[in-house]
Amino acid sequence: MLVLRDLSLTEGGVPHLAAVSVDAEPGRMTTLLGRTGAGKTTLLRAVAGLVQPQSGQISLAGADWSRLPPWRRPVAMVTQQFINYPHLSVLDNVAFPLIRRGEPREAAREAAAAILGRVGLAQMTGRRPAALSGGQQQRVAIARALVKRAPVLLLDEPFVNLDYKLREGLREELAELLRSQSDTVVLYATTDPREALQMGDCTVLMAEGRVLQAGPPRAVFGAPATLEAARVVNDPPINLLAAEITQSGLVLDHLGPQSAGATGRALPPGRYTLGLRAEDIRSGGPLPARVALTEVSGSETVTHLMAGGQPLVMLERAVTDHRLGSELGLMLDLGKALVFGADGALIPKGASHG
Amino acid sequence: MPTSWRWKTAERIRPEGQTRPSARPSMPETAMYRQKYIFLLPGLLVLVAVILFPLIFTIRVSFSSWDVYNPGLNNAGGAMYARLWDDSRYWEALWRLSLLSLSTVLIQYVLGFALALLVWRDIAARRFLRVLFLVPMMTTPVVMSVIWRMIFHESLGPLNPILEALGIGAQPWLSQATHAFAAVMIVEIWQWTPFMFLLLLAGLLSLPSEPFLAARVDGAGPVRTFMSVTFPMMGAISVGAILIRAIEASKIMETVYVLTSGGPGTATETVSYYIYIRGMRDFQIGYAAALSLTYLVIMAVALTLIAKALIRLMVREARA
Amino acid sequence: MRTLYLALKYLAVTLWSGFVIFPFLWMLTTSFKTANGVTGGATWLPWLQYQPSLGGWQSLFGGAGGVNIVRPYLNSLVVTLSGSAIALILGTLAAYGLSRFSFRAGPIRNGDITFFFISQRIMPPIVLAIPFFLMLRWLGLLDSLPGLILIYVALLMPIAVWVMVDFFNTIPRGLDEMAWMDGCPPVTTFLRVILPNVMPGLVVAGMFCLIFGWNDFFFAFTLTFTKTQLLPVSIVALNSSVTPWWALSAAAIVSVAPLAVLAFVVERFLSRGGLAGAVR
Repeated sequence: MLVLRDLSLTEGGVPHLAAVSVDAEPGRMTTLLGRTGAGKTTLLRAVAGLVQPQSGQISLAGADWSRLPPWRRPVAMVTQQFINYPHLSVLDNVAFPLIRRGEPREAAREAAAAILGRVGLAQMTGRRPAALSGGQQQRVAIARALVKRAPVLLLDEPFVNLDYKLREGLREELAELLRSQSDTVVLYATTDPREALQMGDCTVLMAEGRVLQAGPPRAVFGAPATLEAARVVNDPPINLLAAEITQSGLVLDHLGPQSAGATGRALPPGRYTLGLRAEDIRSGGPLPARVALTEVSGSETVTHLMAGGQPLVMLERAVTDHRLGSELGLMLDLGKALVFGADGALIPKGASHG
Repeated sequence: MPTSWRWKTAERIRPEGQTRPSARPSMPETAMYRQKYIFLLPGLLVLVAVILFPLIFTIRVSFSSWDVYNPGLNNAGGAMYARLWDDSRYWEALWRLSLLSLSTVLIQYVLGFALALLVWRDIAARRFLRVLFLVPMMTTPVVMSVIWRMIFHESLGPLNPILEALGIGAQPWLSQATHAFAAVMIVEIWQWTPFMFLLLLAGLLSLPSEPFLAARVDGAGPVRTFMSVTFPMMGAISVGAILIRAIEASKIMETVYVLTSGGPGTATETVSYYIYIRGMRDFQIGYAAALSLTYLVIMAVALTLIAKALIRLMVREARA
Repeated sequence: MRTLYLALKYLAVTLWSGFVIFPFLWMLTTSFKTANGVTGGATWLPWLQYQPSLGGWQSLFGGAGGVNIVRPYLNSLVVTLSGSAIALILGTLAAYGLSRFSFRAGPIRNGDITFFFISQRIMPPIVLAIPFFLMLRWLGLLDSLPGLILIYVALLMPIAVWVMVDFFNTIPRGLDEMAWMDGCPPVTTFLRVILPNVMPGLVVAGMFCLIFGWNDFFFAFTLTFTKTQLLPVSIVALNSSVTPWWALSAAAIVSVAPLAVLAFVVERFLSRGGLAGAVR
């Protein structure tokens, strides 16, 4: 198990890491989910030894890594900007880490050729990286990371610079390859909640250098612990509706009074924020809203709307064409809304508040 | 100007100034990373041992009256500095050096820029001409000065017959003060215009092509394109090239030594050559040390002022 | 108008080319003259204007009327090549360190150290000559090859640092980090990964070291006397009042030729844009 304890790193007053603790188990993929600047890359670099946290411990299977320089840490890393050795052929690039670690040249080349075959580059082994396309270069970098069979594999948005199709293909290849290396700890940093949901066995939500929440992806997605976590984990963004519960019932700040049992539970009077996912808004209801923007992505449609001063985002699992400026009637499924208290913490379903 | 202007100046002078002083440390600073000193220390120690310590020692020597009669370090206080204050030969050499270096550098800049423009593009045998124009800077200055001395020879050299054929008449090249001064200038220009040419051509070749396309679309002729596009874009590069040459020119002495030995009289004596005479020939070590340090300080201040003036004059123009 | 412009352009190129070639032609023709050929005035064409002879060339190898330059030539080669090589090694290492790691000692940062390296080139040689002279005398290295090599290393290293810091800065740090993670400590990273990618820089830096080393006269002149003579010093020594112009010219050609070839190398880098970074 890779254990990160209370890692902190502040540079120029900016907290890149603030008491970050993560436990990552071998044979499972731990995804670090957060926006750009959330500290994911810094955390991976700290694990690799490329930056030195000011405090905290890193250990693998009980062995302390904190004072080890990068070249003594058994890690492999793939970064967004695929980095290969420009002066070596594709084959020698992949064989390089093995040769450096003292394996015989021939054996290293064979292992490299085998793994290059698995990422579909068997025909390219003699070329220089510069002669390959971006996707191929990234696959060389992935092959070089995998060939080491390092106990810790760090993937820093490895597919972000690639086009959609390649990304899908490589993601499957990677999942396939990882299944054959079941003793590996994998940390996978991404900004895309869907990728995290789809790939991870454990999701760690990060923002501003802090860990917001960690757990199985479905649990994190289904019950984000705070407003901030709910924001990070949802794409398209979650709708946050300021609300007040009074004696007479539920009143949304911009959308007015709602039926008393709309949230499906009894809450004491006070200020709340309702988190309503984009897919929990449907068209064909009573709430009038004006279309501000429509994006079609694959077979889904994301529509940005304005309803009485409240911006809303709606996700439909179909390709629909809402004209800009047109009026829609919306139906908010408030029964599925997440409810956050005035302190921003989630109030779980069934929790009793005195 | 910011307090780091000294650094900025260095940036303009020497291209590797592109290292930013505040470069992000990419390696963590733990005990394990002492390895970084393996890279820096050998070179730094050699430089400190061979240049910095001797230089500091020179400061001590300059407060002694070390010469043939009193070899060794004694305490002469500021006597050497007082002596140089009244040494009109030194100040004349300094004045002469300023005149010589500034005028040759200016001519080198104009000629070097013109040559770079000529072989920049659309000319036959471009690459051959570039090689030819570069050759003089590769040659050993003193060796070429020896050859130039023959060329300037008043009765046997090839220059005067040519001048006679052109109707200008033979000139007393190395025996008349003004002529000797001109001869030194000619040799310096021959030797070092190529260096100016090299830097300016490299600059021209690195310019983006869009502004020139735009100028052509606007129907600008070669003169207007130069004045409004090429020259402004070459501002920073020009300052760099001029400063590098000015630094080198402030050291002029080898040409003078071979060509004229500072003569006739002291008509072509530069500061370096005068210090050489005092220190290495008369062996007045203490006095030469005082002269050297004064020279170094004056040159550093003068070059810095020139650098600031040039940057203000030419680089801002380029931004406007 | 266009024709006039072109004519002026080619006239200018021709005039400057003539100026550049003039001394070379003169030393070439003079090297084949004899005493009679020289005193006969400024003549250019062999056979027609003077009787050519190989006397000047023979004198380079100990023939009459000149100075044997074989020994100084070898000395110059040894000093220039070993001085350049050591300067290149130390300078490249220092440049890599300055480009990759941060150093600080009190108020001194990387930038100041880099400036300290480069600023050596601003120092007038005469300022250094006296301390060098005293230092070598103290070390007992005056008038010796090791002494000169030591001085040349210090003089040429700033050039190597100057060129190489720039080249290292164009190599992304990610490459070093990748090599560390592939198990290479910094020195291995430098040798196996970074160095192979800055070969053009090494060529440029090495070239400048050779040019400035080979062409130095002043330090060779002030720090040696009779035992150890370098080529430029021996050529200038020939330049006495009764000058054997033919021997002098032949020696000058032999001295200048190897580096003139470097002009082709410089031009290649120039035309391929390899020097563009050096002026920005």
